[in-house]
Amino acid sequence: MEVIFFNPFDNLLVILLGISLTVWFTLLLVFIIVPATLGVSFGIRRLYMKSLLKIFEWATFRLERGAKEKDHVLYKPYSNAIIAREPTSLVEEIKEIRRSGSNRDLDSASDFEMSDIFYFARRGVESIVDDEVTKRFNTEELESWNLLTRSNHNFHYISLRLTVLWGLGVVIRYGFLLPLRVTLAFTGVGLLVFLTCIIGLLPNGRTKNFLSEKVHLMCYRICVRALTAIITYHDSENKPKNGGICVANHTSPIDVIILASDGCYAMVGQIHGGLMGVIQRSMVKAAPHIWFERSEVKDRHLVAKRLSDHVEDKTKLPILIFPEGTCINNTSVMMFKKGSFEIHSDVYPVAIKYDPRFGDAFWNSSKFGMVSYLLRMMSSWAIVCSVWYLPPMSREEGEDAVQFANRVKAAIARQGGLVDLLWDGGLKRGKVKDTFKEEQQKLYSKILVGTQEDRSRS
Amino acid sequence: MGASQCSQTHPQKYKQYEDFADRTGFSLEQINNLHKRFRQLSDNTETISRENLENIPALANNPLRKQIIGAFFDKRNQHEEEVGSIQEIGFQQFLMVMSHFRPPGLKMTEEEKEAMRKEKLRFLFNMHDTDNDGTITVDEYRKVVEELMSNNDIGQEAAKAIADAAMLEVASINMPHMGPDDFYEGITFEHFEQILKGLEMESRMNVRFLDVDTSTMRCGKGK
Repeated sequence: MEVIFFNPFDNLLVILLGISLTVWFTLLLVFIIVPATLGVSFGIRRLYMKSLLKIFEWATFRLERGAKEKDHVLYKPYSNAIIAREPTSLVEEIKEIRRSGSNRDLDSASDFEMSDIFYFARRGVESIVDDEVTKRFNTEELESWNLLTRSNHNFHYISLRLTVLWGLGVVIRYGFLLPLRVTLAFTGVGLLVFLTCIIGLLPNGRTKNFLSEKVHLMCYRICVRALTAIITYHDSENKPKNGGICVANHTSPIDVIILASDGCYAMVGQIHGGLMGVIQRSMVKAAPHIWFERSEVKDRHLVAKRLSDHVEDKTKLPILIFPEGTCINNTSVMMFKKGSFEIHSDVYPVAIKYDPRFGDAFWNSSKFGMVSYLLRMMSSWAIVCSVWYLPPMSREEGEDAVQFANRVKAAIARQGGLVDLLWDGGLKRGKVKDTFKEEQQKLYSKILVGTQEDRSRS
Repeated sequence: MGASQCSQTHPQKYKQYEDFADRTGFSLEQINNLHKRFRQLSDNTETISRENLENIPALANNPLRKQIIGAFFDKRNQHEEEVGSIQEIGFQQFLMVMSHFRPPGLKMTEEEKEAMRKEKLRFLFNMHDTDNDGTITVDEYRKVVEELMSNNDIGQEAAKAIADAAMLEVASINMPHMGPDDFYEGITFEHFEQILKGLEMESRMNVRFLDVDTSTMRCGKGK
């Protein structure tokens, strides 16, 4: 009896499952993969972005209104400093301090005054309270709420409507968007590995380059859609050309996907093991990427030589380099390492700025591993960013590599609206060298020696 | 100071902040900001160690870095009667040390201003007096001078000479009837105060802590 009962249901279930999967994959194919291959867009993502913005505005408004009604203090993140600093220099301040010490007249003042330490003590405490570098390695704080609890500390029960909206958001993001994106990601990566291996079998020549370009572009476009990245490219006439070097500011590993989906680059990096290694090895079969073994990375001359060799061959693709050496939180640009600027070729700077309202793209590698980072990315609403291609720059007469690097860095910071810092991104993990402290000491000594000389002359 | 504040959603935190505000004189908003900074420096743990402070790049520029960091871990700056140094500090101790750099309030009486000045002087004195015997000896002073100068350009003898000259000057001001064979023990706190008497230090040794702009929030009665 029971057997007869279950059979029709089983069939029905199986049929339903089959139909929905087919529909799913057809939609996927038509709306996402085919446009990715051809490089066109339906504009669905932009529409999505606009509607999301409207919803966020409403959510923030409700949050603030709710907080006022209940007399709660809203935790507003401080985007400005905690203290007000006076921009005086060491020399000015010490002179002023000495002048205000009234007991003696200026000429017979002793060379070293006890009061000089005031200046250094105060400066020291100011640095402890607020310094430019430590806050760059934390995520930027948002002014409005984007329905992700991870980016807002205010979230507690304000109103039924808001909670329902947030709950809906969670369901959509984890139930619908995440599986969709993961599928796309696997498709994209799988296609990349498979197709580049096949192309690798062809003999070197124009056909191979042409095909490899198409394949790379297509797979990266699929990956872009896997992250729902909405990218605006500005000034595409300045796109990097063959035989040049492209430098950009670094916020996350996604930067590579963003840039490579609009143009073809030769990538530079260390060869990893695991899945990453498989992808790298298959990519290099189709296009001349530059991968280094771990041992070779330390040898700066070897690295520089390989890069120069690549650049001299004008038919080869432009090299993509991130001179900061580490991920920064996209509010500033840190020191560029001079290695890439010592090579003789045109440098094409590119500025990348993410819009933090939709999802935080910064990879804090000390907090999250790669996999949890990718999961976070794929469960945010979207990744919206702007890419500016700046006109090419080259080293001028009498300029050394460091000055050139700073010039490029300033241009990128200006274009992207980021703060231009002199500090080294390596400070995320290491300490400042003692040479900085010695410079301040030298300056102070000069003041003292100077006063001694004045006295001996008079 | 708490009258114009809204109560927060965490009443315990609010109570704690009020307690801190009474002890240190900071406003509640300033304490909130400093707490955020504390958490940033301590990597979201409850205490800060010396390494956390040493990792601040801007502080590395400062020749007095060691002394400044030492001051945070010095029990004498906590306004209790204990001496010695501690390994890690919590937020309350952090605030206590910071309060030495607070500017004088507008409504302070003369006595309060005097007391504040003495506090700041005491802080600087403690920075020099590393063995905590109540006097700054020649050696202790010389150490501070050496830290301020560069080792290459001037050399250790010069630093010693400068320290000796300064000590002599202090001695001549404070103990004018000293004979040629008397030995000047060291600068006591009273002598220290005496030297720096004329110095207008209320504005030299303070950091202007800002309040968060709360104008967009409406505050009702405290809960």
